[in-house]
Amino acid sequence: MKNEMTYKNSIHNLGRLTSAIVLIMILLVPLIISMYFGIFPPFRNLLLGLGTVTMIYLPISIAEFLTYTPMLGSSASYLVFVTGNLSNLKIPCALTCIENAGVKPQSEEADVIATIAVAVSSLVTTAIIFAGVLALAPLRPVLESQFLKPAFEQIIPALFGAMSGYWILKQWELAVTPLFIVILLFIFLPVPYGTEGALIPVIGLLSVISARIFYKRGWIKQPDSNNGGSK
Amino acid sequence: MNYLEVANGNLLYFLTAFVILFVILQSLIFLKKAWLRGKEIGLSTETMREAVKTSAVFAVIPSIPIVIALIAIAPVLGTPFSWMRLSVIGSQSYELIAAGIGASSMGVKNIGDPRYTAQVFSNSMWVMSAGIIWGLVLCIFVLKKYQQGIKKVHQKDSFWAEIMVNSLFFGMLSVFLGRPVTSGGISLYVLLSSAFVMLIFTWAAKITKIRWITDFSLSLSMIAGMGFAVLFSQAGL
Repeated sequence: MKNEMTYKNSIHNLGRLTSAIVLIMILLVPLIISMYFGIFPPFRNLLLGLGTVTMIYLPISIAEFLTYTPMLGSSASYLVFVTGNLSNLKIPCALTCIENAGVKPQSEEADVIATIAVAVSSLVTTAIIFAGVLALAPLRPVLESQFLKPAFEQIIPALFGAMSGYWILKQWELAVTPLFIVILLFIFLPVPYGTEGALIPVIGLLSVISARIFYKRGWIKQPDSNNGGSK
Repeated sequence: MNYLEVANGNLLYFLTAFVILFVILQSLIFLKKAWLRGKEIGLSTETMREAVKTSAVFAVIPSIPIVIALIAIAPVLGTPFSWMRLSVIGSQSYELIAAGIGASSMGVKNIGDPRYTAQVFSNSMWVMSAGIIWGLVLCIFVLKKYQQGIKKVHQKDSFWAEIMVNSLFFGMLSVFLGRPVTSGGISLYVLLSSAFVMLIFTWAAKITKIRWITDFSLSLSMIAGMGFAVLFSQAGL
């Protein structure tokens, strides 16, 4: 059996290699199209656009990276940053699977389970999008039906409601501070739609600080077990 | 040349297929590696199978909004590129914003503007593609070091490391709870009902020790929440 170090190194090598390939492929697509059709945008306008989008998304990406990779472990992290849809799909999925498997978070076992969860959910999403492309015409009336519209609009509250039903009950001490701050913030500051993501690092940091204080004071008790439900 | 001839052209379909196939291959390679490693470190096949089942079922519902986003984006940006963007890294909210920035930096108001030419489309493609790479870049250059740092915290005090990661997670959870909780209305009712259904499932799983309840409770609670959303809106709430 490979020891942990050797395995980790092989994952980092594989992750870096495949991520670099994806990165190049992503950039090759506009390059090939621009060259083939002779529609390369003027350099100045291209830089202006890139500058604007980078200003918005570089800080968000750094925050996502710092927040999510410790939850996922190494190998799942490489996959999520290629496949996307982190907060609305991959993170809840990985955390639920780690919890259900009854393995300790951040252990090697959790790393394996998170990778399985992220890989399988990516494959399923890809398959569903593929089916969506093939069946765009017949699906449209269902997905755009007025009757079902509220169901699709409320997927995020339904997801995070269910997540909080489980997690807040399990570790309410950790939930109190960030929830309180966020609620105050939303009451007193108009947070524009779609910019919530920018709040995640700030609230995450405050949440960690408060957890540290609670921990130092001995207010957080070691959970009896990693509650695996029926495990 | 109408930009849609480029955007729905065969070349772009071909490139899209290529990228998506590679990403599928990457997922399969990682899946296989994780599976073998799991066996090496003593995880039972059953535990890993449960993870496959849970994640496969869970992924279905949150994928629906992605298909809806595709329906919204495909007519303006063409099917293949929208498809690739939503399958690789992207997310619904990002794509339209980035495509719009690509247009506005060419002096065109937005996608769909009569002056949205093939060249403007190519600028949108560049901006959308290059704007989203940062997470990947960080993984390539920083992830190993960062994970080693986390590992050090873990070795020093594993309980604190666990608390730290969980409190990061609660920070994220709180941010997504903020709007429905403060704005009230149907989102709040849905949130509360799916939380309540989840509580019942968690409790039922503990009492009955039935495995599938644990595996599917999150998905079922979500579906229940969505069902309530239809019910509440029919009731005029």
